[in-house]
Formats: sequence, C-alpha cells, structure tokens
Amino acid sequence: MSPKDVKPQSSQGSSGSITLGNVILRIFSLMLFWAGGSWLMLRLWADGYWPFAAAILLITCLITFIWVRPETYPLRWMSPGLVFMLLISVYPILYTVYISFTNFGTGHLIGKTRVIEVLENRKFLPKNGSEYDFALYRNTSGELAVLLLPSPGSEPIILVPGSTIPQSQTGKIVIEAAPPEQIVIDGAQPPYQLLPKNQILTALSELQGVTFGSDEHAVQITGMTKAAALESRYVYDSQSDTILDIKDNVLYKANDENGIFVSADGRELDPGYTVATGIANYSRFIDNPSFRGPLVMVFLWTVFYALLSTFFPFALGLLTAIVFGRNMPGKGLIKSLLIIPFAIPNVISILIWRGLWNPISGLYGASISAIAGQPVNIFADPILIKAVLIFVETWLSYPYFFLITSGALQAIPTDMYEAAEIDGANAWHQFQYITLPLLLVAVGPLLVGSFMYNFNNFNVVYLFNKGGPPMVGTSTPAGYSDILISYVYRLAFSGTGQDYGYATAITVIIFFVLVVITLFQYQLMNMWEKVGENV
Amino acid sequence: MKTKNMILSLLLALVILVSACSSPAPATTAPATTAPQAAEPTVAVAAAPTDAPTAGVATDQPALTLTIWTDDNFTKALEGMVDPAQKEYGVKLVVQQLKFEEVMSQFQLAAPAGQGPDILVTNNGNVGELVKNGLVIPLSLGDVATKYDPVAVSAWQDKGEQYGLPINTENVGFFINKEIVPACPATWTEVRDISRKISANNGDNVDANKYGFVLNETDAYHWYPLMTAFGGYVFAVTDKGYNPSDLGLDSEGTLAAAKYWDAYIKEKLQPAGVDDETMLHFFETGKAAMIITGPWWTKRVVASGLKFEICPIPGEVKKNGQPFLGSFGYVVSAFSKNQSLAEIFVKDFLSREENMRAIFNNTPQPPANLAVVASLTDPYLAAFAVAGKDALPLPSIPEMGAVWEGWTNALTLVSQQRDDPVNAFTTAAEQIRKKIAETNK
Repeated sequence: MSPKDVKPQSSQGSSGSITLGNVILRIFSLMLFWAGGSWLMLRLWADGYWPFAAAILLITCLITFIWVRPETYPLRWMSPGLVFMLLISVYPILYTVYISFTNFGTGHLIGKTRVIEVLENRKFLPKNGSEYDFALYRNTSGELAVLLLPSPGSEPIILVPGSTIPQSQTGKIVIEAAPPEQIVIDGAQPPYQLLPKNQILTALSELQGVTFGSDEHAVQITGMTKAAALESRYVYDSQSDTILDIKDNVLYKANDENGIFVSADGRELDPGYTVATGIANYSRFIDNPSFRGPLVMVFLWTVFYALLSTFFPFALGLLTAIVFGRNMPGKGLIKSLLIIPFAIPNVISILIWRGLWNPISGLYGASISAIAGQPVNIFADPILIKAVLIFVETWLSYPYFFLITSGALQAIPTDMYEAAEIDGANAWHQFQYITLPLLLVAVGPLLVGSFMYNFNNFNVVYLFNKGGPPMVGTSTPAGYSDILISYVYRLAFSGTGQDYGYATAITVIIFFVLVVITLFQYQLMNMWEKVGENV
Repeated sequence: MKTKNMILSLLLALVILVSACSSPAPATTAPATTAPQAAEPTVAVAAAPTDAPTAGVATDQPALTLTIWTDDNFTKALEGMVDPAQKEYGVKLVVQQLKFEEVMSQFQLAAPAGQGPDILVTNNGNVGELVKNGLVIPLSLGDVATKYDPVAVSAWQDKGEQYGLPINTENVGFFINKEIVPACPATWTEVRDISRKISANNGDNVDANKYGFVLNETDAYHWYPLMTAFGGYVFAVTDKGYNPSDLGLDSEGTLAAAKYWDAYIKEKLQPAGVDDETMLHFFETGKAAMIITGPWWTKRVVASGLKFEICPIPGEVKKNGQPFLGSFGYVVSAFSKNQSLAEIFVKDFLSREENMRAIFNNTPQPPANLAVVASLTDPYLAAFAVAGKDALPLPSIPEMGAVWEGWTNALTLVSQQRDDPVNAFTTAAEQIRKKIAETNK
C-alpha cells in the first residue's frame, strides 16, 4: 500500500515522474477524504442510521482501494461517478428488493419496539380515577408548584415536582372561589405566585414527564386547568410477548408472522408492525388464479403498446427528419415548432388531449362523432381507446426521434448515396439498404430504451383514461387500456391503504420480465450491427 | 520547487489540523438514547434530527413550540393565530405549508422518523389509515364536542374513539336552474319525468339539445346521493362506525339505483361522454337544468348570472338522498414530543369560536363550529347545510380504499352501457370483498 508502488507505467499522458510533492499531496488528499468520511459515518451511527453509515464506510474503502492500487488507479476519476451510481441507483434498488420481502405498508409502517412504545404511551382514565382542577404557581427562584383542588370545597393539595400526593396536608390554604394569588409552602420564602395564563403551557412543558402522585396513580395534566390520575392503557410483557389492554381487559398476543397483536377472539390491535414475510408477497402475486385472466390480456396489450409506441414515433420522426433535412425557407422556425410536443410537460398535454377527445365538447371527439353520425365515445370503446392512446403517444414522442434521427442521418456519408445512384438504386432502395441499416446501428439502443420506457409508461395511460374503460366481469378491476404497471399500481395501492411490500414485489417481477425482453432485443441489435457492417 | 514544497508542508499542517478537529466532534454528539431500530426498515429521511423544539427565546422561560402542518387552504388563517397563541398561551406556533397531495404521504414518513409536526390539518377520510398506522392519538374533547356539529364530530371517530377536531364540513347539493325547473323535485321519479319533458324534442345533434339532470358518468362520489335515495349503502352503519364486513354495493337499494340509472341512460336522457367539465358547462349555459355538485362551485355559477337554487337531494325510498360528508380537521401526531400539550392546545385554543371564524373567513366552507354556523349569512351555505342534514361521513375505515376502484368501474360500465346494472354491481361487490379479504389477512 506504499505510495511508492504507484508507478507512472500505466498512466498515459499524465505528468512524468512521481515527485515527493505528488506523493505527499496524494496522502493528504486521502487523509482529508478519510477525515470527512469518518466524521459522516460517526454522525450517522450516532443518529441510528447504521445501514447508511455502513454504506458510507463501504464507499470510502472502495474509493481508497481504487486510488491506491496501481491496477485500479486509471479508474480514479470514474470513482465519484461509481459512488453516485451506488448511492442513487443501486442502493434504492436493493432497498426496494428488501422491502418486497417484508409487509411494509399501511398498518405496518413502524417496527415492533416503536409500536410497543406508542401503545404504552396511551393513557386512559380508569372508572374510579380521580380528576382534579389545578392551578400552577412559580416562585422567583423558578420552581414550580401545583395546587390541586380535588373537588370544590375540599381541602386543596399542594405539590412540588417529585412529591407525592400527601395524606396529611402541608401548607394548609383555605380556598375560596378562585385559587389564591400567592401561596407559601412550609413557611418557606419566597412565596409562589399564581402563573398568568400565557405561561401555563410553557410551565406544563417543563412539567411534562414529571408526574405527581404515587407510581400507581400518577397525576397528569389533561387540560389548561384539569389534571387526572391517568393510567397506561396497555402493558407489554416481554416474557410472554403479549400486551394487556387494561381498560377493556383484553389480552393481545404478538403474531410475528403477520406483524400485529391479536386477541384470542381475533381482535386486532392497531398499529401493526413491519415484519419480514419471506416470499409471501411474490406468492400472493403469482398464486392468485383469479387475476390471471385480465393479467394475460393486460400483458399482451403492454407489449403491443410498447412496440407500436416505439415504431410509430420513430417512423414519423424519421420521415420528418428526412423531409426537413433539405434546405427550405423557414426551416429553423418549423423545426422549433415541431419540437413543441416534446417541450410541453406531458402531464398537461395528456389532459388537454383528454379534453379534445371528449365526444360532446372536444374538437376531435365531436368532429368524429359528427362524421360518424352518432356519438363516438372513445373512452367507452375498448379498441378505439387503444388506437387513440397510441396516437397520443406518437404525438408526444415523435420530436425526440426527429431530433435523434436528424443527427444520425447526417452521420451517414453522402458518397454512399452517390455510389448507390451510380449503381442505379432509386430513392426507396437507397433508403432500405443504406439509410435504414446505418441508422438502426446508431439509433438501435435508443429504440430499445424507448421500448422499455413505453412498457412502463404510467403517465400516458393513467392520465388519459385511468386505464379504462373497465373490463366486464373480471375478478380484479382491470381496464382495456391498462398496461402492466397501471394495473399492478391499482392492485397494490387501491386496496386498504398502501401496500409497499406487495408493490415492490410486483416491481421486481416486472423488472425480470423486462430483462428477458431486453436480452431478446440485444440479439436484434447485434443483428443490425452485422447488417450495418455489410452495407 | 522550494515554494511547491513549502505549500505542500503547509497543506500537511492544515490537514493534520482538520483531522484532529473533525475526529473528536462525533464523540461529543450524544449517542441516540431511543431504542435501537435494528430490524426495522429505516426510512430514508437522512437529515439529522434537529434540536429539541423548544426554541431558545430571550425570555426567562423557554417558549414551547408547536408545529402544525397544513395545505394552502388554511395557512393564512393559521398564521393569523400565531400572535394570539404567543400572547395568551406562550406557545410559538410554527405553521408549515405543504402541497395538498403531499401532506399525508409526507406525514406518514416523517412522523415515525421524528421529523413530523405536532398537529396536522387533514381530511377525515384519512383517519382510518392514520389510526391503523398508529400515527395519531385519541383526543378527549369533553365539553368542546358539544359546541360542534355532531355529524362532523362523528366523522372523526374510528372504532368509537375520537381522533380529530372538525374545522369544516363539505357535502354536495342538488342545483336546479330556476328558469326551467321552478321547484325542487322531491323524488327521482320526478327528476326523470322533468328530464323527459325537457328532452322531448332532442335530436342527434348534441349541441342543440336540452337535458334535465346530467351527471359525470364515472364519478361515484356524486352518484352516491342517488344511490342512498334508493336505500343503497356502501358500508352498513353501526353505533361503532362503519362495519367493513357489510358491503352494500350489491344490496337491493343499490341495485335499484343502478337499474334506475341504467334506464335513464337508455332513454338518452343524458348524452354519452359526460364528464365533470361537460356537466358544469351544460348547467352554466342552461343546456342542463339539474346537476349535483358542491360548494366549491357556487362562485362560478353565481358569476354566470343564472337563476338557480340549491335543493336537498331528492329521495325515492328515503325522504332525501344522503350525500357524503367530508371534513377537514385537526389531528395530533402520536410521535409529537409534546403530545398532551398539543392536545390541550387543540382543545382549548384552536377550538375557540374566533379561531374557527378566522378559518371560515379565509376559506368559506361550511364550518363545523355551531356558533360560527349560527352567525352565517350566506344563503348558499345554509342551503348546503340543509342538503347535508342527513349526510353520512365519508367512510374513513381503511377498507374504503378498496371500494372506490370497483365502484367507479361498475358505475362506468352502466353509464357507458357496456354491462347490465345488476351484473356490474354484483361483480364489483365481489371484487371488493375479495380485495378486502386479501389485504386483511
């Protein structure tokens, strides 16, 4: 690990020999880096974020390793990029996969220890519990005292923090209607002054956590002038792993499989807690036979939609690029206008399209209805909605392909076209045998990327018609324009709350499906490359 | 070279200094005293916890700080309460505004991590989920509850316990165009007869046609009053709130309402493709004589100059249809460091008439505080109150989330005439029951 091992053999084009100054600089940079990293790690550890701290440690070691080993030294400037990729891409993915093996979601948001804390904090007033009116006093030394009036006309009780409600009375005060302005306890000076209203809550916050009375019947403040001997409603017994509800006298046993406390007669105690559930989320998705019907249809439509939503924008974009590749007046202006669909946020444009296709008041909808002679509601027709959805997606995406293919077209050497013309090829042949293969080599990865993007294009599908119109008679709600992601979004999130565990499991499954499809497409791309080489 | 070495030596000294200073720093931060959260998925709220909320104020005693989260509807009114809170209670009220759709999701993540507010302004439909996640504490309102509309107060209960204090209420009403329909229809049969008369001369051209009652064909929330008028229900009401095991989407009353609606569409008393905007637009321009909508829309229809009236929902089996009652209100976070004090603050200060009035002046929704209601002069709000007399709170039980999807689909299928009403609603009920059973394992 000695810096002297870092020889300049593998460093191309960098400074010549390694001087002592360079070596010292490198050591100190590493020291600085470790100083910063350790500080961050220790702070995270102190705050309880130990997975994050472990991740930072890992990254620090990784970067040091890259910088110090001569084999990996050339990677040194890539290491920050690698780090960010680990933190921002890889860590969330791993976390998502981790969540898919738990039941994290509504009703199971927090861990067991926290749940027990929350429950133990809940208090109630037992049937024969005492309630008191009180008044707060403070003396000039800043100490607080509480005057309790158990019931009108009875003897008041005076408490200072730490004291219990005494059987005998000290500091006997005769109470008239209102609490006295000043009291003296045990004859001690200075006297305590009655607190004005605007200081009561502040004083109460000081008293918070301080209880009066004996341990079994601690008195707590319940209002601006009221106190009561509240009791903890729930008691946790770690031996038997149960919680006793004192108020209703029900015993709840912890069910660590489902993450909830359940009583013998099946009553559940809210909140539940997060537990690891193994592959339960996955088997729930896969074993559920009743949803297979719509799932197959939805999946087929998803693949079909992704294919067409890649093909049509590409074709239209290419056509536009070819047409506007020539010189013509106003070319700059027209090109800027053509980019508009890409520039407007698609959330807005999709909603506007939705309005345009309304059969009564939308321009397109009403026109088509007038032409057809009867109202044509695309939002109610299973086939038309698909066609219009592809139309909208084409409108949204073609400028992207227009831009890309413009660039790629210019990269094709023009002497090829001249050679082809000499050989007698017409425009269509030129396009088919020169332009297209070379274009596909350059644009191929982008087409694959566009396919993956449209496979999961939640925005367009959900905003346009929420995946509708609904299918008839299915066992789970599904729509005719639903793609896989919107269908499973509803499966996971329109149940009784947000089921993150289930949703992440489905995400992982979709990921694997996409991986398979993408591998397929890489084969296609290799084929295109081979064709392109032979042009 | 000599200068270079000197610079490097200075750097050496600097780095040693920095390392020496940075290393002891972590030792001075106290290690976390809360229980270790070993096995729990740590939420990625990576910010280090801020100092305790008691901000250091230059007075003798430290001021108590209470944080309240709200969406933009209530911010101004709450900010106006900061001074009185400080003067009278010595409480520093910190008002933080979040985007409407983010309030709940942020709260659910931030609260367990200790970064959440003490008090939250939210919608009563969220109570079930908040309780299920253990994020709010029960409030013992005591006498304060008597000063509020009882239906609004019950809208904030879950399993018989009170979890929130209502601020306002919201329900839909039946709008009629007085020039076409002179009096409030009493039953839905009447509504249908009136619609028949109005659309007697309708042809194929939708632009020239006139309609009676129109409704957004995919909106179950606005269709609900029609459903209840026929005796339908979503979840059966018991004295402990809604009973999630009694789903009423395939009950007799609901099916009767569905059949009525199916016949209504078949007779072309409503054109195809009516959505929210179309419905409102038709009413504004006089093409439709009756719609169901809420107080958020009153200003617009007043501005259109139409002579209109807000009626109670027509009945059929029942005397009047019952709309949903929505309500905004205060809840106290279970992860607040000043739980009981926040509760006291809500009960004693926020519930006061003048504070509720301040909110009403900023956001004119029908208030839940009876004293403010009594002093109302707006006739429209009064009309909505009449329409909402028998309103049922929007169910806040978590099972309600499973209902919307299937219910909306069933209504859409009937409105778009792609399924017969009985089959659509029976299928929906089955879907929902299965969903509830699956997620409540």
